[in-house]
Amino acid sequence: MHLYQSMRNAGEFDSAVEGRYSRRLLHRWIALAVTSAACCAQPSQNPVAGDPSAIAGGGAAFRPYCTPCHGIKGEGGRGPDLTRGVYSAGDKDSDLYNVIANGVPGTEMAGFGSDIKEEDIWRIVAFIRSLARHDIPALSGDRAAGEKLFWGKGACGGCHAVNGKGGLLGPELSRIGRERSLAFLRESVLEPNRDIKHEYATITAVKRDGTKIIGVGSLDNFTVQITDVAGNYYSFSRSDLASCTRELKSLMPDNYSRSLKPAEIDDLIAYLVNLRGAEATQ
Amino acid sequence: MKTAALLPMLTAAVFAASPITEQNLREAQADSANWLTYGKNYLGWRSSDLTEINTKTVSRLAPRWIHQSGASGQHETTPLVFGGKMFVTGPSNHAFALDLLTGKELWHYHKVSPVGLDLCCGEQNRGFAALGDRLFKVNIETTLVALDARSGAVLWERQMADYKKGYSATGAPLVVKNKVVVGMAGAEFGTRGFIDAYDASTGERVWRFNTIPAKGEPGSETWAGDSWEHGGGSTWITGTYDPDLNLIYWGTANPGPGLDGDVRAGDNLYTDSLVALDADTGKLKWYFQFTPHDTHDWDAVEDPVLIDMVVKGRKVKAVVQANRNGFFYALDRTNGQFLHAAPFTKVTWATGIDAKGRPTAVPGMDPSESGVKVCPGLGGGHTWHATSYSPQTQLFYFNSIDGCGLFYRNKQEFHEGQWYQASTDAAIPSEPSGGSLLALDPATGQTRWRFEMVTPAPAGMLSTAGGLVFTGDGQGYLLALDAKTGKPLWHFQTGGEIIAPPITYTLNGKQQIAVAAGTSIVTFALMP
Repeated sequence: MHLYQSMRNAGEFDSAVEGRYSRRLLHRWIALAVTSAACCAQPSQNPVAGDPSAIAGGGAAFRPYCTPCHGIKGEGGRGPDLTRGVYSAGDKDSDLYNVIANGVPGTEMAGFGSDIKEEDIWRIVAFIRSLARHDIPALSGDRAAGEKLFWGKGACGGCHAVNGKGGLLGPELSRIGRERSLAFLRESVLEPNRDIKHEYATITAVKRDGTKIIGVGSLDNFTVQITDVAGNYYSFSRSDLASCTRELKSLMPDNYSRSLKPAEIDDLIAYLVNLRGAEATQ
Repeated sequence: MKTAALLPMLTAAVFAASPITEQNLREAQADSANWLTYGKNYLGWRSSDLTEINTKTVSRLAPRWIHQSGASGQHETTPLVFGGKMFVTGPSNHAFALDLLTGKELWHYHKVSPVGLDLCCGEQNRGFAALGDRLFKVNIETTLVALDARSGAVLWERQMADYKKGYSATGAPLVVKNKVVVGMAGAEFGTRGFIDAYDASTGERVWRFNTIPAKGEPGSETWAGDSWEHGGGSTWITGTYDPDLNLIYWGTANPGPGLDGDVRAGDNLYTDSLVALDADTGKLKWYFQFTPHDTHDWDAVEDPVLIDMVVKGRKVKAVVQANRNGFFYALDRTNGQFLHAAPFTKVTWATGIDAKGRPTAVPGMDPSESGVKVCPGLGGGHTWHATSYSPQTQLFYFNSIDGCGLFYRNKQEFHEGQWYQASTDAAIPSEPSGGSLLALDPATGQTRWRFEMVTPAPAGMLSTAGGLVFTGDGQGYLLALDAKTGKPLWHFQTGGEIIAPPITYTLNGKQQIAVAAGTSIVTFALMP
């Protein structure tokens, strides 16, 4: 079977409906969304921690479920790098279990609790632990300098918001350091067109009087909604337009490798990777 | 659970009690007022002779009532309509009888699904079959249940296979004579596929056809060692039936494990195949394998549609299928002989199909540890979503997924009841798949028109003698296109993704359209 998993991975469904993919993902994600709330009470420590056969089994289970976002070796991609030994939703075994079983609300991490048996989730946890490297060099960039660049010379804040400040033409970044791997963040700054979601593709609508509207938004078979760089919002029936096209190209400048020095790029990455989102407080 | 009248209600409707007979099913195409079986007729055409809603009037089409099922999950049902009622199934073992005039719920069947189900794709269900006063449906835990159509009461329920071993069931059954023919799902869990026939009266199993031959049986030589034991080949979409030949046509799914072919050297019969079975005995009359030794999860469960047509000057009783591997096929349905094939989307895994119907495979397209790009992707060029053949235009309509995927493979041991796919696929960054609706001449395989969609269209098709094709899209639109040209003539935003195929029938002589959208059934008729 399998059909919508790839679709979801590709962000091909504009609706927030889907999860595991080419079709299998889509169907499964919905089932998981329904069942995850009541899912999976578990011990706080991994009963198979460090067990070589459990790690091998976890690796086999990791492949079909986790590699599309986390990479074959857990090195990360669209999803976080799992080799760093620190994890976006908590570092305890039970945190990892919960993330795998129930997903992370508000992110692209779906829950797999009704697809993967409890013992296999623990094996995956053991496998993920085995990936942790402790020889990762510290980031060379200066986080504070990166923040200054973000709001100043880089002009990133014109289109990206962090903690309620900034524009919304591009992705909201308050938690981006939890959600993306380091390599993916660097690639996104230097090559913004390399991996882009539909909602950030460039839409160009041409009205019958020749007026051109360029921005991002939502395109379906019959209508289009666009927010332009000035923040104006438009909604049209496509039949009322002279033309409407969506190009899988970001409005983000693709010249940061030239306009910023390598050290400045490092600073910017150091800032982004430390955007971890607000923690709940009492 | 709630209904809303959006057009002025008709005031009354009276329907005589009318149990469904075997003859009714054979003559279902002529019964335009009702929708009696999954594919509209035994041939799987999903085409209606109704003309009230046509290219000129469709602009007046508007919703009449909406039934919200309250059941979570994707609604993939083909509703049945007879006796003034609509019978629909929902996901997670829900089913309903609805009043055709008002949408009011007359009864609601529900059986709680067991915990611990191993499913590839959720608890979907694709509809009922009917005979007499009985309705037949599968439940997700691989049971077949007979309900009293008047009350929803359970008459019998049969366990077809053990869900703890990865078996499940999602497809609509097919009633042939006094038998309920039904398939199963679960090839991703190392199950062994089958097609069963049960006595409609008693629920006793009459025959079983195993899609994976056991050791020593013909076809077993196409499996290395004991790999046949976990060979997959599930049967999760309803087949078709030729009453004159007394043959049932049913598609089979991928081999197991899906993406690692090394552990199952050989062609792996009868996976990814169309099988023709004697309706009385379940004996294999012929088979045709579309994708020998598949390593891309390209099930061949897509609708096998039966068409009598002229191919190269010769009248042929054909069966056609838009296959997941990206090729459209036409076969002689009397003997399974290959007639022709043509790609309907971008295909990189084969350079073509030879004179006997076997693909000429391109080397290096098997999944690997680091990922291999193949077109079409794992979702295929077209998958199970219902297709339609219009006798009026003599065109075959279906949706196409246009794109590629990265195929990964790993080594995976088989453990009973556990996921056994040996890796997966991934989308290619910044290369999202497109989608389109196609009208294709089945006699030649040539595409007549293509309507491009912004995303792959997940819905099934309906054609009508009003010159229309109806289908849905992933963003919730139900749309009607000119069947001859593909020009969109009408659309309505239902508010929920449409996966199911639309159907049509009449109420007090007026043509209606119905479709499952999101978690609702939405019906439409012409405004005055």
